[in-house]
Amino acid sequence: MTRLFLRLGLALVLFLALDSLAFRTGYTSILEPNSTAGYLEQFVWNEIHRPLTGPNQVLAVGDSRVGLKTRVADQLTPETGYTLATIAVPGTTPRCWYYMLREVDPRRDRYAAILVPFDTYNDREFEPVADRELDLRYLAPLLRLSDLWSFSMSYTEWPLRALAARTVLLKGMAFQQDFQAYLAHRHAREENVRLVHRLGASWIYTSIWERHNLEGIEVDWAANRITAFPDWMDAERRRGAEDVLLRPVAPVTPSYAVYRLRWIGAIIDRYRGTRTRIFFYRLPRGPVVRPGLPEDADSSVRQLARRPGVTLADEHTFDSLERPELFGDAMHLNEAGGIEFSRRLAQLAGKWLSAPQEPAR
Amino acid sequence: MLFHTPQFFLFFVVVVALFYASPRPFRKYILLAASYFFYMCWNAKFILLILALTAIDYTAARWIRRAATGARRKTALITSLAANLGFLGFFKYYNFLASNLALALGRPAGDWALAIILPMGISFHTFQSMSYVVDVYRGQQEPITNVVDYALYIAFFPQLVAGPIVRAHDFFRDFYHWRAPDAREQLLGVWLVVFGLVKKLVVADQFARLADAYFANPAAYPGCLAAWSGVVAFSIQIFFDFSGYTDMAIGLAHLLGFRFPENFRRPYLASSITDFWRRWHISLSTWLRDYLYIPLGGNRGGRFQTYRNLLVTMLLGGLWHGASWNFVIWGGYHGGLLAAERALGIDPKPGRNPLRVLLTFALASIGWVFFRARTLPASLEILGRLCHGPAGHIMWPHWQLWIAVSSLALAVAEERFEWFERLPETPAWVYSGALALCLLCLELIGFTDRPVPFVYFQF
Repeated sequence: MTRLFLRLGLALVLFLALDSLAFRTGYTSILEPNSTAGYLEQFVWNEIHRPLTGPNQVLAVGDSRVGLKTRVADQLTPETGYTLATIAVPGTTPRCWYYMLREVDPRRDRYAAILVPFDTYNDREFEPVADRELDLRYLAPLLRLSDLWSFSMSYTEWPLRALAARTVLLKGMAFQQDFQAYLAHRHAREENVRLVHRLGASWIYTSIWERHNLEGIEVDWAANRITAFPDWMDAERRRGAEDVLLRPVAPVTPSYAVYRLRWIGAIIDRYRGTRTRIFFYRLPRGPVVRPGLPEDADSSVRQLARRPGVTLADEHTFDSLERPELFGDAMHLNEAGGIEFSRRLAQLAGKWLSAPQEPAR
Repeated sequence: MLFHTPQFFLFFVVVVALFYASPRPFRKYILLAASYFFYMCWNAKFILLILALTAIDYTAARWIRRAATGARRKTALITSLAANLGFLGFFKYYNFLASNLALALGRPAGDWALAIILPMGISFHTFQSMSYVVDVYRGQQEPITNVVDYALYIAFFPQLVAGPIVRAHDFFRDFYHWRAPDAREQLLGVWLVVFGLVKKLVVADQFARLADAYFANPAAYPGCLAAWSGVVAFSIQIFFDFSGYTDMAIGLAHLLGFRFPENFRRPYLASSITDFWRRWHISLSTWLRDYLYIPLGGNRGGRFQTYRNLLVTMLLGGLWHGASWNFVIWGGYHGGLLAAERALGIDPKPGRNPLRVLLTFALASIGWVFFRARTLPASLEILGRLCHGPAGHIMWPHWQLWIAVSSLALAVAEERFEWFERLPETPAWVYSGALALCLLCLELIGFTDRPVPFVYFQF
């Protein structure tokens, strides 16, 4: 039996070595750009390769609701003194932001500030995120062996913990479908990746925005129904708007507070003692906002904002953008909204950074 | 609980641990309980069928031994065969016979059909039972006196579902003279399990998708090349699927101290159809030879009787695979080819002749069309596409072509050097390196969320 187990152990070591050799030495740079992992990887790649114009760099993290147009924001650079960049990837969560920041700023000295968005300062959980399987797909390229315990245990269910551990340990399995697709269409993939790299960040920064707006939308909150839609919205878009705007007020959950404390807290901890400051702000919530939403009491966000180096924007900072004409759908700003939001965010960032750092509260 | 699922591996680890941790007299009970549990994971009710057949055949064999007269011995034999064939016939062939009878009488085919579930592995364990009782009748096997021992022979989980069909003397030789597998056998057992998984998940399942796509809609892939690539994809699938399963079964048994006979010997490198059947599903072909072909007269009754015997044996062999005319035709096709080779005096093993190997492979692949296609008209349509029409395109992606080429290279190397068997004797880095490569293949290609069932599980 000893001989068997020694050889099995050696086989396991060799297998892990082969897996690492194949997938931890640059394979992530040829991930399919249109895949979940490849999409995130492109944002990270672009940010790493973006030429820096100076030390006054401000980076926005977030998801698709961060309507930051850096071209607009950077028109204000002479005024604010800061250049804005974004790694806000649609569908990502604070857990993803932490690992993305680790990747783009390994020495923690690249940015003057990190802009962290919230949809609510309350711990109202619109969708369960702690056990979000999609994060595994996003993060597969960024996870290291040293993340095995902390990342896996950040899930609360054991099957997901096992899946997370597998994603950390066995990169080949995480990239299985991507690898097979690569084998099937190797030249097309390489060409596609070359093209995306050649375009650099411009494919993110010059992407076309929604030019429609929701002017004309009317909601009867008492009956909980939308009574008027803009004419251009087809049935599917109308259903989408109903799903978002009419959904019940999400409950405050302790688990969401724990999740936020863990991952936003990890971002803050990462930059503790550095020059990088963290700014929290609340995103414009939608074209129309349900009246009578409970005011946010003491929440995880407010607890986190008391830590050194963190600034919390007033939650009503962007309320004036919560107008139908500035939204392209029920969740996302349209081009006009994005321009206005970007301008205001750049100004705010400049203002925050020029203000003396507040002592910890 | 299929062999290629994590649940099975967990089950097996627990069984092995219990088996070796228990005092020797208890081990057979552990294996029997594990085997019944394994079977009941599929369908608990059908355990009654296994128990009934076990009781009947165990008793029949003992009667045969004790019977004073030839007539009583024969009665016991016939009772046992009737029970086995009766169960097999009802579960596997009732609907086939009923629909054909209905059609012959001008009634709709489904008129007398019943919703019958085919019990898992029935074709295999009934053949094992019958061979045991016949061997006892012939005086070639002592009847087993302990019912638990016999029950384990019938239900032993590594070969319960899809063989290999193990003869009683092989099984009980290992059972009554059990010795723990030595280091070489342990290494070989693990290698066979891992390599069997690679065969199944990395090769067979990849080609299964191509074969499924082609056979589902041949018209979507016009041209002769597409037809051949679809048919050859199934040839590759069925071999790697079944031999992968068999390798795993043999490997698992090895780890428990049982040495099963070889079931495949690189059949696609055969130089003739006769040679093919000496290499393909060896446990079935030797069973058919010993319990059907030879009792029918074999080649002792002159030329035409030999041809007839070959044809009858292969027709029944075809029917054993499944209740459909396509399987009968497939068996008849092979019987016809075997008879033709005899009639033409073709040397079954003329040495290495690539052209003859290629021709044999093509003939076997043509046979697989009947095996895989759902209906006779569908088979004929595909056969037509193999022979005429525009050239079309090969439907395999490049990398699957590489899998096929690599598999061929490995098979040729194995045919020449038999290095798989010698792998446990190689230095640790060679053995472990081979295992590591297998694991990498499984990781990159094999393990998916969509497992493809083993082809032979349906039989």
